[in-house]
Amino acid sequence: MFNEMYQSESIIRNHYNNINEWLEKMTAKVINEKNAEAETHFRNIGITFSTNSETARERIIPFDLIPRIFTFSEWSKLEKGVIQRAKALNAFLADIYNQGEIIKANIIPKELIFKKKSFEVSMFGFTPPRSIYSPIIGIDLVRTNHNEYFVLEDNCRTPSGVSYMLENREIMMRMFPDLFHTNRVTPIDDYPTRLLQTLMSLAPIKCSTSEPVCVLLTPGPLNSAYYEHSFLSDQMGIEMVESTDLFVEGEFLYMKTVDGPKKVDVVYRRIDDDFLDPLCFNPNSVIGIPGIMDVYRTGGVNICSAPGAGIADDKAIYIYVPEMIKFYLGEQPILENVQTWSCDMDDDLNYVLDNLSDLVVKEVDGSGGYGMLIGPKSSKSSIEEFRRKLSSNPKGYIAQPLLDLSFSPTLIKNQVEGRRVDLRPFCLMGENAQLSSGGLTRVAMNEGSFVVNSSQGGGVKDTWVLAE
Amino acid sequence: MLSRTAEYLYWISRYMERAETNARLLDVGYRMSLFPNPNGYNNEWESVLAAAGAIQGYKNKYTIIEQKNVEDYLFFDEDNPSSVYNCILNARSNALVVRTSFTPESWLAINKTYQEILKLKNNNFNASDLPNLTEWTIEQVNLFRGSLSSLLRNDGYNFLYLGLFVERADNSARLLDVKYFVLLPKPQYVGGNIDNMQWSILLRSLSSFRAFRWAYDGDVTSTKIADFLVLNSNCPRSLSFCIQNIVKHLTNLTCSPEKVAKIYNTLKDLNIKIQEEKIESIVDFGLHEFVTQFINKISSVDTDIQREFFN
Repeated sequence: MFNEMYQSESIIRNHYNNINEWLEKMTAKVINEKNAEAETHFRNIGITFSTNSETARERIIPFDLIPRIFTFSEWSKLEKGVIQRAKALNAFLADIYNQGEIIKANIIPKELIFKKKSFEVSMFGFTPPRSIYSPIIGIDLVRTNHNEYFVLEDNCRTPSGVSYMLENREIMMRMFPDLFHTNRVTPIDDYPTRLLQTLMSLAPIKCSTSEPVCVLLTPGPLNSAYYEHSFLSDQMGIEMVESTDLFVEGEFLYMKTVDGPKKVDVVYRRIDDDFLDPLCFNPNSVIGIPGIMDVYRTGGVNICSAPGAGIADDKAIYIYVPEMIKFYLGEQPILENVQTWSCDMDDDLNYVLDNLSDLVVKEVDGSGGYGMLIGPKSSKSSIEEFRRKLSSNPKGYIAQPLLDLSFSPTLIKNQVEGRRVDLRPFCLMGENAQLSSGGLTRVAMNEGSFVVNSSQGGGVKDTWVLAE
Repeated sequence: MLSRTAEYLYWISRYMERAETNARLLDVGYRMSLFPNPNGYNNEWESVLAAAGAIQGYKNKYTIIEQKNVEDYLFFDEDNPSSVYNCILNARSNALVVRTSFTPESWLAINKTYQEILKLKNNNFNASDLPNLTEWTIEQVNLFRGSLSSLLRNDGYNFLYLGLFVERADNSARLLDVKYFVLLPKPQYVGGNIDNMQWSILLRSLSSFRAFRWAYDGDVTSTKIADFLVLNSNCPRSLSFCIQNIVKHLTNLTCSPEKVAKIYNTLKDLNIKIQEEKIESIVDFGLHEFVTQFINKISSVDTDIQREFFN
């Protein structure tokens, strides 16, 4: 097991020394006060999320006071690795929606791509501005050793969590200003500006102005990431719209304003493909903007991320990302993939069924930490239950070894204890490719737990990248 | 500005204003209930319901009109679309959508109010808590209004204030009407002790008693109070003050001058009339008739605003 703070039982890693001193000076009283202050702050600003549970209307994610720290050199490696991956994923999308070289080269079987629901036929032969399909990519990483990181998942559609990254820093700076005097923490507050620059650099061909009008399209207040939508649009100074605010006329997309219609150039959409355009996708959808896809394909508006970008973060495609990096970029992957058995292949399925108690089994289309089996931590009966599920629907599952996620010091009942963490940094792809100088660290608050999802008792931490 | 944003801003201040009016109405009822009844006649709670436009809804739910139930209905009831509770919930869910169109302080003011009313609703309350609930509501609404002072003076600001004054114009007019036609059903009471006492309570509940004393010398008479609440443009709850502010915030809008002009034209006459009118001629014409016309006018202005700007 790897602990982010301790080199061995008694030796603290250099970059955690300041934090350790700070922790030793903190009394239980101060910890309680600061915890209460953070909770009140999050509740007041309304940074809440909804869960599948009916009982709690709005919940806040537990916030842990102890930051997770990366040194400059650790981060540099991650930065290169994530950007490399983001470039490859975009190249993959550009390829499969055009020539399909990677299929012709027999690297990825075509059934795997074309039969997926997330593959969008209407994108065939169309290339978005700068050939960028997915301008905002969130990569979920775990660390297992000093120099060993694995990518768990790519998020190419509309990754969320960046508002937590920013608000966690905000509250830390407010509660513990001294920490930021004694530690050289790289600022992250320019993220919204960079996001806006990225969106503006992706203006469609018919946009003639140097300052394209960008909007953020939200499904509305019931969406679990609604806070983030309003936070980001506020920080970028752009309108947050719902689909009823938009309409198509002629070759362009407009929003309804008190001054009359205003042309929109770039839509940062936070709704799913299915709900974009009832004429093109789901005809039963009551939300959506009829005709937006025609405007999009004729260069009147850009939609970020592009419809159909989701195929790139499919769990079955994930297996091939290292191959993509070699194929498109001619480079060796900097970040490793987790070994993955895809259960629709007979050999793999048999292996998985024989080793269920050692493996993690996930639904191909699942998310939020639901519907998964953590073999080593599960009872015999739930293992048998998964055996039945797997046998009846092998295509629906993949399996991976259980990774030994790194521990990070976490305050549990005012005591410092190790809890497992992951990391989601955010990569922007526009005129430039760049990585946020930090990310969202999620922590499994329950002892021994491997599940960091907020829907399953996960918390969050501020994530520091120290300046060189 | 998005049409929807303008609409939500407009409604946020309407809801907040309505929450305040309902709380103040409950206060009117509460104070009146503490006074001895004339000839066994006791209908303050019914008039409160009437002024809140809630009689029908109330009667669908309860058979007897009594303090505890009226309080509950006007303050906490989820079935009453205008209860203080629902007003705050609605204002908050609108604010959630347009929080970035006003200041963080405005959002905080509304969101804290929301957090607190959820707690208040879960506690059982006694009839004697009512003055505290009223005070709390007024305080919360004042917090919200205070937070607006740091807003950019743009169209969003004007839509917020349009909502506030449209709602207040309507509420003030209804209060006046109720005073005359519900509280005092028998003509022989007019001008009597009960009459004057009720007027005073009305003034107190509008936090205007002291202001009235500053503005008028001598006895408290119903004509003076009517003058104060209808024509006195220094009184921030008078019909005159509301209409002037509607005109002001309407004509301050920078978007769509032709729409502004269109709505202004329908309002112009009333605005001029209310500045020139004398209270005696209104009373001769009939206060009730005057107020009814006024309410209809405000309602058509509201329809115009919604049609022109929010669609």
